[in-house]
Amino acid sequence: MSALAVNNLRVRLGTREVLAGVNCELQKGEFVLLAGRNGAGKSTLLRAMLGALVPDSGSVTLHSRALAAWQPLERAREMAFVPQSVDTPFEFTGRELVTMGRHAHRGRGQLLERADERAITQALLAADAMAFAEQPVTTLSGGEQRRIAVARALATEAPLLLLDEPTNNLDLEHALQLVAMLARFAAAGRGVLVASHDLNLFAQHCTRVVLLHEGRTFADGPPREVLSSANMVTVFGVQSAPPSGFFPREFRL
Amino acid sequence: MNARRRTVVVALAVAVVAVLYLGVAREGPGLAELWQWLGSSFGGDPLATMDEFSFANLRLPRLLVAAFGGAALALAGAVMQATFRNQLASPDLVGTAAGAAFGGALAIVLGWSKRAVIATPLASLAGALAATSLVFVLARAHGRFAVSTLLLAGLALHNLVGALTSFVVTFRFNNYTASSDVLFWLMGGLEARTWDHAAITSIGCMVFAAMVWPRRRELDLLTLHDDTAHSLGVDATSARRWLVWCACGLTATTVSNTGGIAFVGLVVPHLARLLVGPSHRVLLPACAVLGALLLVVSDWVCRLAPPEANLRLGVVTALFGAPYFLFLLVRQRRGESS
Repeated sequence: MSALAVNNLRVRLGTREVLAGVNCELQKGEFVLLAGRNGAGKSTLLRAMLGALVPDSGSVTLHSRALAAWQPLERAREMAFVPQSVDTPFEFTGRELVTMGRHAHRGRGQLLERADERAITQALLAADAMAFAEQPVTTLSGGEQRRIAVARALATEAPLLLLDEPTNNLDLEHALQLVAMLARFAAAGRGVLVASHDLNLFAQHCTRVVLLHEGRTFADGPPREVLSSANMVTVFGVQSAPPSGFFPREFRL
Repeated sequence: MNARRRTVVVALAVAVVAVLYLGVAREGPGLAELWQWLGSSFGGDPLATMDEFSFANLRLPRLLVAAFGGAALALAGAVMQATFRNQLASPDLVGTAAGAAFGGALAIVLGWSKRAVIATPLASLAGALAATSLVFVLARAHGRFAVSTLLLAGLALHNLVGALTSFVVTFRFNNYTASSDVLFWLMGGLEARTWDHAAITSIGCMVFAAMVWPRRRELDLLTLHDDTAHSLGVDATSARRWLVWCACGLTATTVSNTGGIAFVGLVVPHLARLLVGPSHRVLLPACAVLGALLLVVSDWVCRLAPPEANLRLGVVTALFGAPYFLFLLVRQRRGESS
C-alpha cells in the first residue's frame, strides 16, 4: 500500500496545462528522486501532493484516504515539506523557525513540552544548524537558511518528507551530508521524495527515479534504468557519458 | 532585560503617561487636583464639582478612547503585516481604514450618528468589511491570494473609497454643520468623547483582540510562504480571512470613534518588533501597549497646543509616522540592492 499516491493528476495554471495526467507514488522506506526539465511540473506536483494546490482532475491519497479528507494538523503530522525558496521577511531566529515545525503537535496556546524541545534540538543537530540557531534568519547565508528549513521539516517528525531543490545554496560538504541524512531516513523507514536537478548527487543514493516530461510521467524505476542515455537525450536533450578525465569527480564525505 | 523587569517598566510608563495626560492640561484642573480627586476615592477631601466632572467625564473617557484606539490600530497593523507577509501592510494601505472612514462619514452626513451612538461604529464596520471583502475578491486567483495583488488592489480601493468619501462630504456641502463635522472627524480627533465612545472603543478592542490572541502561533506561520504554512498544518486562506476580519473589526471600532488616524498601524508593529522580536506571543502585547502610549501622547500634544493652531490628532500621528514610513522604504530598498 502506497503511503502517498497520485493518480492521473491534471493541473492547469492559467492557460497552460502543467500536469497532464501524472501517476506517482511514495512508500515508506523509499528515497525517490523527482527529475525533469525546468517547467516539467516537479514543484507543481509537490504542491499537489501536499494539498497546497487543488488539481483540476485526478486524485492524491495519503494512506489510501483522499488528501482533502485529512484535517490540516493531522496531515501535517504525516507529511513535512522543505520549500524551494527561503520564506520569511521577518527576523525570526533559526530556533524560532524550527519551533514552528512543532505546530501540529501542540494544542492552541500550549507551551513547548519536553518532547517538543527534544525534537527541535535533534532536528537542529541533524541539519548541522545548531551553531547559528539563535541568529536572525535574515542575517544567515542562503545555505544556512536552507539548513534551518530542513531542520524545521525534521522537527515535525513526519514519516513522509517532501523536498523541493533541497541542495540549492548548499556547499559541497553540506549537500553530501543532506543526501546521506535523507538516505538514512529512508533506510529507517521514512518516505523521502526530492525534486532536484542535481541528478549526479541524488542518483547515487535514491532507490527510485520518477522522470517528468511535458507534464506526464515519462519513466519511473531504478536510477540506472530511468537515467539511461536514451532518456537523457529525449527529456533533457543532452548526451551523457561515463566519468572520464578530471570532471565529473565523485565526491564522498 | 528579563520579562518581569520589562513588565514593570511598561506598567510604570503607562502609569506616568496616564497621570500626565489626566493632570497636565492647558486649562482646567492640574496635577494637584488630580491627586485630590484620586484621594477623595479613599476618604480624602472631595474635589470641586466642575473639576471632578472634568476628570471623570471629559479626560478619563478621552484617555480610554485614545489608549484602546491606539492599541487596536497597532494590533490591526501587526495582524495585517503578518497575514500579508509584508512589513509595509497596514489598515491604511489595504483599504480597510478608508472603508471604515467612508461608512462613518455616511453615518454622520445622513444624521444616523445623532440618533444612536452605535450607528457610526456599525457603519464603519460595514464599510471596512465591504472594502476589505472587495479587495479579497479582486486579489483571488486559483483559490489563492497573491499578496502583491492584494496590496495593489487595497491601494486602488483606498483611493477609490477616499474619492467616494470626498463626494459624500461635498454632496452635502449646503449642510455646513454636517460637512464640517465630517471634515473634522476625518482629520482624526478625540474632542467631546463620552463614556459611550470609551465603552465602544474598549469593548471593540478587547473583543477583537481576544479573537486574534488564540491564533498568535498561526500568525507566526502565516509569515512563511503559503505552501510552507499549509505543510505545517495551517489552512492559510481561511486563517488569513479570519484574521483580516478581526483586523477590520479593530480598525472600524477605532476609526468610528477617533476619525482618521494615520500610520499608527504601520509604525507601531515595527517599533515593537525592534524591542521584542517578531514572535506574535510577545509582539501582540507589545503592540497593544506601544500603540496605546503613542496615541495617548499624540492626543496629549494636541490638547497642549494653542487652540488657534487647531492641531488634529491625525495630523500629529501623520507627522510622526510619515517620516518613519519613508525611512522604512529607504532601508528596504537599500536591503534589496545590497
